[in-house]
Amino acid sequence: MSADLELYQDIVLEHKRAPRNFGVLATLTHRAQGTNPQCGDQISLALQIEQDRIVDVRFKGQGCAICMASTSMMTEAIKGVEVQAAQQLQHHFRAVLTGAQAPEEAYLGKLICLAGVARYPSRIKCALLGWHALGHALQTPVANSTTHEQVTS
Amino acid sequence: MNMRSPLLEIPGTGTAATAQFPILAQRIHGLPLAYLDNAATTHMPLAVLGAISRFETHDRANIHRGVHTLSQRATDAFECARDQVKRFVGATDAHELVFTSGTTDALNMVAQGLSQALAGRAVIGPGDEIIVSGLEHHANLVPWQQAARRAGATLRVLLPDAKGRLQQDALARLLSPRTRVLALTACANASGERPPYEALLALAQEAGALTVLDAAQTVGHSAMDLRTLACDFMAFSAHKMYGPMGMGALVGRRSALERLTPLRFGGDMVQSVSYTDAVFAELPARLEGGTPHVSGAVGMAAAAHYIQSIGHGAIETHLAALRHRAVHGLSRMDGLTVLSPDARASAIVSFVVEGAHPHDIGTLLDARGIAVRTGHHCAQPLLDHLGLGPTTRASFAVYNTHVEVDRLLAGVNHAIGVLR
Repeated sequence: MSADLELYQDIVLEHKRAPRNFGVLATLTHRAQGTNPQCGDQISLALQIEQDRIVDVRFKGQGCAICMASTSMMTEAIKGVEVQAAQQLQHHFRAVLTGAQAPEEAYLGKLICLAGVARYPSRIKCALLGWHALGHALQTPVANSTTHEQVTS
Repeated sequence: MNMRSPLLEIPGTGTAATAQFPILAQRIHGLPLAYLDNAATTHMPLAVLGAISRFETHDRANIHRGVHTLSQRATDAFECARDQVKRFVGATDAHELVFTSGTTDALNMVAQGLSQALAGRAVIGPGDEIIVSGLEHHANLVPWQQAARRAGATLRVLLPDAKGRLQQDALARLLSPRTRVLALTACANASGERPPYEALLALAQEAGALTVLDAAQTVGHSAMDLRTLACDFMAFSAHKMYGPMGMGALVGRRSALERLTPLRFGGDMVQSVSYTDAVFAELPARLEGGTPHVSGAVGMAAAAHYIQSIGHGAIETHLAALRHRAVHGLSRMDGLTVLSPDARASAIVSFVVEGAHPHDIGTLLDARGIAVRTGHHCAQPLLDHLGLGPTTRASFAVYNTHVEVDRLLAGVNHAIGVLR
């Protein structure tokens, strides 16, 4: 299958053109930044966590279509869910993209449309950038959120 | 889109050259490979592959130390390669050539060699100034940042104007009696800009500075003539001129090379050694410690010969036509900006597209068998300065054709359609 069909599915392009939860969060409890030094792509992610639940999320930044769509769909998937469930989803998404888990066993919902990225090794880091930021944000309450995390894989 | 191939091809270039490059005869995702990533690395023609293979299968031995026949042949091959590559860049008796692992290695040898003291003081000292241009690849910037730090010197940047061009009067304003070095590229790998390096080097040399030219992006097509350049050190790589990877050269004035502190100590770079001390050999051996990449030198010389057999003029004309066709076609696309559109003697076309990220364009081009490079091209400060993000870069070589340029144009047009 060509990249046109496999990577750039309509749903991916639709999220790229109109990313969900894009912007800043007035009340945030956690945040982090993901940077891909090779191309300068950058995602900053803000979370509002109350009683172990992600009640709201926003992201800002710039990146390729894969990066923007993946982050946009991620914010949809984690909004309103418990932190532990978001962490599990992150684990499964990463496992699918790195080939450690079959997509159909990972319960990814509509994120499964990004499973094809696993066949484009140079693009896996694009799809994971927002998810790396999520992992760091969950560890980073705003009081000490000034560190810039660099994502290399 | 116009898919016609022009009727006239310059002898030895385009399809006439393609057959000499076995790697090009393959399909990528079912389509013929259009390799347009030549600023990253060029491929090797049969003549170069053959020269390397002949050396490895008939003459291979360690050089200098042996009295046996193969060692003598290998030594002859290595020194003959040195002479050939020297002639290729117009080196005279006042010049010497040191083989390196590539341009990065050569530039590090100069930056560290001038800023590190061995006996007495280093050439660059506290309070001195180093000028680099704002067009440089990280390989001609980061070593000078480190050199300035090591020596307590100040690094000054000759910034390009808003169109990415370097101006002589801007350099004149930066030069001072404390300027020890000007480090400059002959062609910016990220934008394709070809600065007036002849005049800039001359200006710096007149002001008493040592001049360093990164010729990596020009040596594959432009005649670099050290007889006429105010150049103390010139660095280039074999793999960007149809030669092997892991090979390059630092060529310069003997008097300048002699000022470099050797950085790699060991066999072959010494004249005599006791348990407590050593006397270093003369140039070029003093800067070539250890067993060199002899087959790389042989391949580099064969690559120089390949370029000369086609002729710099023919290659330049061919590449200029390809670049012109690409710039013309790309500039007509909505929301697309070509960097340095008017650059002459450049084989690089770098561009940005509104609403279409280079990574996505690169992947969609690859799906059509077209290889380009995307990203910062190791020149992040330049792209920041120009207010641009990452770019898509197509770069041409002797074996590329007008049909391939048209495929690039159609591919970019398609990618924009998909992504917007």
